[in-house]
Amino acid sequence: MNALTDFFRGPWTIAVYTWREGMRKKTLVGFLILSLLVIFGSSFLAAFLDPSMVGDVESDMNLKLIKDICVTAIALFGVLITIFTSASVVPNEVENRVIYTVLSKPVRRFQYLLGKFIGVQLIVLINLALMTGLFFIALLVRQSVMPTLLLWSAMLTYFEFLIVSAFTFAVSCTASSSILPTIGGLFIYLTGNLTEYLKDVNVRAGQTDQWLDWLIGKTASFLAAVLPNLQNFSLKTQILNGQPNDPPTDVLIPNLICYGLLYGLSGFLLSYWLFRRKEM
Amino acid sequence: MSAVIQTTKLSKVYESAWGGQDVHALKELDLTVLPGEIFAYLGPNGSGKTTTIKMLLGLIFPSSGEIEILGSKDISSSKVKRNIGYLPEGAYYPDFLRGEEILRYYGKLYGLRGADLERRIDQVIETVGMTHARSRLLRGYSKGMRQRIGLAQALISDPQILILDEPTTGLDPIARKEIRDILAHLRDNGKTLLISSHELLEVELISNRVGILYQGVLQAFGDMDSLLTNRDISINVSNPPAAALAILEEKGIRKEDEAGGSAKLRVPEGMSVYDALELCKSQSIQLVSVAPRRETLEELFVRTVGAAEAKEKVAQ
Ligand SMILES: Nc1ncnc2c1ncn2[C@@H]1O[C@H](COP(=O)(O)OP(=O)(O)OP(=O)(O)O)[C@@H](O)[C@H]1O
Ligand SMILES: [Mg+2]
Repeated sequence: MNALTDFFRGPWTIAVYTWREGMRKKTLVGFLILSLLVIFGSSFLAAFLDPSMVGDVESDMNLKLIKDICVTAIALFGVLITIFTSASVVPNEVENRVIYTVLSKPVRRFQYLLGKFIGVQLIVLINLALMTGLFFIALLVRQSVMPTLLLWSAMLTYFEFLIVSAFTFAVSCTASSSILPTIGGLFIYLTGNLTEYLKDVNVRAGQTDQWLDWLIGKTASFLAAVLPNLQNFSLKTQILNGQPNDPPTDVLIPNLICYGLLYGLSGFLLSYWLFRRKEM
Repeated sequence: MSAVIQTTKLSKVYESAWGGQDVHALKELDLTVLPGEIFAYLGPNGSGKTTTIKMLLGLIFPSSGEIEILGSKDISSSKVKRNIGYLPEGAYYPDFLRGEEILRYYGKLYGLRGADLERRIDQVIETVGMTHARSRLLRGYSKGMRQRIGLAQALISDPQILILDEPTTGLDPIARKEIRDILAHLRDNGKTLLISSHELLEVELISNRVGILYQGVLQAFGDMDSLLTNRDISINVSNPPAAALAILEEKGIRKEDEAGGSAKLRVPEGMSVYDALELCKSQSIQLVSVAPRRETLEELFVRTVGAAEAKEKVAQ
């Protein structure tokens, strides 16, 4: 027990300082403010501008639009925050050489990475919680029912971010600036959302006999097999069309959590493997 | 006496990624740092000092050879790391923090907590003379203030070993003296210090042993007293006539420097002091004093590096 707390002390210290530093980053705060503005603007202002419409059909359309904007804003800004943070925490310290002083302390490289990674997760979680919280209040005010579906959605979205974060983090462990891993993170997010399409590519490519088509098809199916399918984590359709206080249908929550954790863990282990012998 | 830091045939090759030339930064280095000493690790730019130090701290990895610190080969174990304080070259610290917060952060990484930690923070801030700026953001620190905080974080856990890469670079003369005194004080309290530096005058004042590195090879290594053997004699004279000096020069006695009517003459190796004095007398030069003159560290450095350079030229 003692050994365990000893092991996690260093990482936890690093995580807290990473979080403190991260919440001061201008890009990050900028994204957060923007997203909150979008959510606030679309939900509250619309209601104030046109209170008479509450209840009729047109307002239903309106509500759907607002939900669409907010869900999209949370997904978009959330993933941007995730990618920027995951891509930069380690390369920044390598670049400004703060890492020399940290790694020379009684902190193993694994503990250092763990601390940084947990710090990133704290940042991601807190931002996600703020965005979801505002959206939650907005919907509650509008519809007078607890929009619990949002909480389920936020949880699943977090596991989606965890996957993106872990692999962006892994790329960042090989880089000495945050540019490459940021691009890598965007690529991971995009392809992760396109896995259905990739499967489709393989089916179509299989219909001709040319070797190039064959190659593209195989590559696509390989990618589809190894890449996580991030679409699984989206409750958007249900949020737009269903009741706000329904439990999520059409998804197996425990399976998705395991899926997210497994991918997250492999991403993190990959980063350790890449970072283990990295020369500073 | 068992060594605190010991390297055996330690080598480092920086491999070039794109088919360029590999850099052999360190070649089979055997280095021994003994307990309770200040070891001065010297060498021209690019000779491999920082490379060695980074390997000692596990920031980069040896291409071959071994490192043993405090009798342990697992230099990344926390048992070893807990006993090392490190000041990196041109160090940088999270600048969104206040001076004391930085120390709190590093102190926690050493496993210090609570009242213990706070007491250490107060102590080291006092030691490096930063009490007045302890609650200011690092962003607003000057170069010298950063360096002082850097030294404070190296000291925070009261480690047995201090590894300092150019600790006085960029400091004003008073700060240099202060830091020098701190380092000497630490040594007197039984700490072991490995210091890389270009400030030879300073280093000479406090260190016990030196190693001079050139292109990854130790060219001179040992006790300060035994290395600076090249003692010669200097004769101080007053108001020497130029003609007399010219005659002395012919015999090999060179004027070293001259100020306020007195001059310092250097007796060359191999010449007897009596002969030199005889010559002075024959020229009616007025004698002020005769004194042995110890070689300075700077002279040793220039001589050693010069010889290594010459040897390399011959080899080419
Ligand atoms: N990351 C690296 N990649 C390639 N070569 C490197 C790297 N770091 C150092 N070198 C090379 O290794 C040699 C030794 O460098 P090092 O930094 O150890 O010198 P130093 O003695 O600390 O010099 P200085 O007094 O200028 O600080 C130099 O030739 C340097 O160019
Ligand atoms: Mg150096």
